[in-house]
Amino acid sequence: MTAKYRLFGRKSIGYIVLIGMLLIIVAPFYWMVITSIKSFMSIISPTPSLVPHHPTLMWYQEAFYQFGFGHYIMNSLIVSITSTLIVMILAALASYAVARLPIRGKAPIMVFLLMISTFPQVGVVSPLYIVLQHLGWLNSYQALIIPYTAFNLPFAIWVMRTYFAGIPKELDEAARVDGASVLTTIFRIILPLATPGLFTGAIFTFVACWTEFFFALVFNSIDAFRTIPVGIALFGGQYTIPYGTMFAGSTVAVLPIVIIVLIFQKWVVAGLTAGAVKG
Amino acid sequence: MRVSKLERGNAIAGYLLIAPAMLVIGLVTIFPILYSVWMSLNHIQSTVNGFQFTFNGLTNYVKIFNYQPFWQALGFTTMYAIVTVFIELALGLLVALALNQPIKGRGIAVAVMLIPWTLITVISAQMWHYIYEPTFGVLNYILMQLHIISSPVLWLGQAQLATVSMMVADVWKTTPFVTLILLSGLQLISNDLYEAAKIDGASNWRAFWRITFPLLRPSIGLAALFRILQAFGLFDLPFVLTSGGPGSSTTPIAMLTFQVLFNMDKFGPGTAMAVTTVGIVIVLALIFIKALRTQVGEVE
Repeated sequence: MTAKYRLFGRKSIGYIVLIGMLLIIVAPFYWMVITSIKSFMSIISPTPSLVPHHPTLMWYQEAFYQFGFGHYIMNSLIVSITSTLIVMILAALASYAVARLPIRGKAPIMVFLLMISTFPQVGVVSPLYIVLQHLGWLNSYQALIIPYTAFNLPFAIWVMRTYFAGIPKELDEAARVDGASVLTTIFRIILPLATPGLFTGAIFTFVACWTEFFFALVFNSIDAFRTIPVGIALFGGQYTIPYGTMFAGSTVAVLPIVIIVLIFQKWVVAGLTAGAVKG
Repeated sequence: MRVSKLERGNAIAGYLLIAPAMLVIGLVTIFPILYSVWMSLNHIQSTVNGFQFTFNGLTNYVKIFNYQPFWQALGFTTMYAIVTVFIELALGLLVALALNQPIKGRGIAVAVMLIPWTLITVISAQMWHYIYEPTFGVLNYILMQLHIISSPVLWLGQAQLATVSMMVADVWKTTPFVTLILLSGLQLISNDLYEAAKIDGASNWRAFWRITFPLLRPSIGLAALFRILQAFGLFDLPFVLTSGGPGSSTTPIAMLTFQVLFNMDKFGPGTAMAVTTVGIVIVLALIFIKALRTQVGEVE
């Protein structure tokens, strides 16, 4: 890895591109976080300041006590965690079958999964709406958990299959010969060895559920079942947009995910690579 | 050929293991898409007892094809998809190449690039809304301090400017993701190829077009495919940033479909729009997948 080829004759140009890009990425994000602790006068001042002169937590208080932001967070947590758990269990079973067992039509199944994962949600929204209404499930947790599970399964299966395929076959064959059932083999032998795959699949699924807006807006429109994205999108006041309150809520919604993703960075990047290599 | 008992058991187990996932995927994606096709051929009325269907053939399609906003939204979405994906790929490639050298801080760079990806689109849209705000937004302030503009600009107040502003927000959020995909593709290219090129006296520029670009084409194609298909579902960003306006100038097809379905309560024409969108997406995906295959074939 020593003498890496360079398009840019000098490393310095690489550094300039890099620093410029990092500034552009971080600046708007910083602006949002910093606005959430600024005073009202400072937020609507025509001469914005880079640092808050009189930092305040009042917007956080307002977001949680007046706008019930904690409620949106709770809804988002319930829907995202449940969907992620179901996706991981179903994906573990399916990926094991695809990676190991002699079933027909594996290649078409994988192509089919890839196609499904790119389908625009608008293509399925009206029938799902009619069915959910018929079942009386509009404005419920399952109205989101079921579609989130379906839309995130393909990628989870895709990623986990890659990891399963990397585990020596002899391990599970030995377990099977010793009389272990398929399920025992998956949960006792394979999954512990495929933890990175589990993490990758789980993080991608969780982030997708946490950020999803379209289904959440259409299916769960009443306040009691709104998730964070819907809560923030419909936050507008009657005359002005309450930026302080909105960004306080947004910061709370975003920071934990940013931290989780940074901690598990390695596996997130691995997931992207799986997409790039397998494509 | 004799099939052992264990093997047959394995095959049955295989189908049983894959069945739950396929069932959920089928119920929530395949069935609704097929049902959508049927719905789009009906006049649909929502009544107290639920929805009532009356078969009316291709009437809904005739309606939407004669509905000017449909073509406008389709045109806007196509233009938006092509422009943003092109910019994202170009910028993403530039940054990926910069990162694909032994420079310090690469780990931090990759970490920071993950931030926009984790951000809820609705939140990043509100964030940009505040940045573009005409009277106290920071963008006007900076540009006026630099004397690039003399008076505040209404970034979201006029069709072309609003489109460009929306594209900037989109490029900001998505380019890092494209960069990471391209970077992982770059890292698969063997360094030996470049060593050989150097010995042969090839310039960096030549090496890029003869080695990097051809070998990276599958990664570029994949990133382009995902981004273009995603762009056809564009909804969150305009919903918050521009509300599709001014007028309906920044209304993409998914948002128009949403409005026809849930604001105007016209399920027949709305579903016909959705089916048309899915049709376009499937055709695009097939073209891309085929192109990618032949490319991979050429390389091997």
